[in-house]
Amino acid sequence: MKLTSRYEQTSCRLVLEGLPDLSAGQGAQTLGILTGFTLALAGRTELEGKREHLLALMAVVLPYARHLLSGVLRPFGAADQAVAISPAEGGGHTLELRSSQANTPPLTLQLDDAELADLVRCLDQMRLDPRLALGLAVGSPQPLRRGELHHRQPLRQRLAAPLVGAGALALAAVLLALLPPTPRPASTAAPTTAAAGTR
Amino acid sequence: MDDAPPKPMRPLSRRGIERLDLMLLCAEALDLNGGEAMVWLSEEMGYTTLFPNRVELWKRRCCNPLRRSTRRDPLPQAEADALIRILNALADRLYPMLRSLLSTAEPPSISEQRWALFRSRLAELLRERFNLRRGAVQRLLDPEQGPALSRELIQCMAFSAGPGGFERLQASLMDAT
Repeated sequence: MKLTSRYEQTSCRLVLEGLPDLSAGQGAQTLGILTGFTLALAGRTELEGKREHLLALMAVVLPYARHLLSGVLRPFGAADQAVAISPAEGGGHTLELRSSQANTPPLTLQLDDAELADLVRCLDQMRLDPRLALGLAVGSPQPLRRGELHHRQPLRQRLAAPLVGAGALALAAVLLALLPPTPRPASTAAPTTAAAGTR
Repeated sequence: MDDAPPKPMRPLSRRGIERLDLMLLCAEALDLNGGEAMVWLSEEMGYTTLFPNRVELWKRRCCNPLRRSTRRDPLPQAEADALIRILNALADRLYPMLRSLLSTAEPPSISEQRWALFRSRLAELLRERFNLRRGAVQRLLDPEQGPALSRELIQCMAFSAGPGGFERLQASLMDAT
């Protein structure tokens, strides 16, 4: 029995089609085998794909949104991946969908913040839908490390503390080198001998 | 994602508390009844033990060091999580407004009017409740830097809304400082 799940936002509609995986003991209303999906982004061609395309879409869009939330705008999706997303020059986001068929140029879509937020919400609804058992889990969002948050402080401010520290250390080393050498304490051997002689 | 190992319990950093409270303030700027909605949502979501009344809820928000009357005690993890869940629910409720502010499909004149109204309400709330000597507050009120910073807050709220928004926002507020 064919099953369909729809997730809709103002500018985005994601429709999954599939079958229940009865051999895995799933219920008749649980979509366990994905036969295909369609993604309609406002005013653009409806996209069709298979499970690997949906996984590729989730693998780049969700981490991109996670980084965006921390103010980090960086591209996701390597050249050999089916989907890539990157910040666009004049604001907004560029979603690039690469076909697995030879001689088919990639499809590039420009999304504004609202359209990207709609897409993220649709993907969230889909991956957290209890009626699906597709094993489309992606990594849980994690806090970003300091090295990933360079944008928060300008280079001058970031370099200021280590440079001041290194300068202070160098100054201390120079001042120490300028100090006159302290006289060596007198040898303790003689008094010991003298003390031994008086006994 | 539900099967992911639980994150280590860690209180929010000072910066995390500042951002969380500023986004809650944005919700109040977007919705004149935002303060009431926060209290109502807190009760609806079963946080009456953590925030028995509006004063207790307000006290937790005063852990934000940018506030005029700030509290020095740390914000416990359970209460921070509850505030993040309340913000997630508020952002979901306000999502159509957030979306319309961020959309480039809106006519520019209408969009600019909406932003101007939001920024004036936010500035009013900041002047009323925040310490104006703080650099972060001054930057938000600055006519040059303020618009970009308030847009960042609205963008964060939009990506914090919806079913996966809580985890994303929680992770973002726990970024290294």
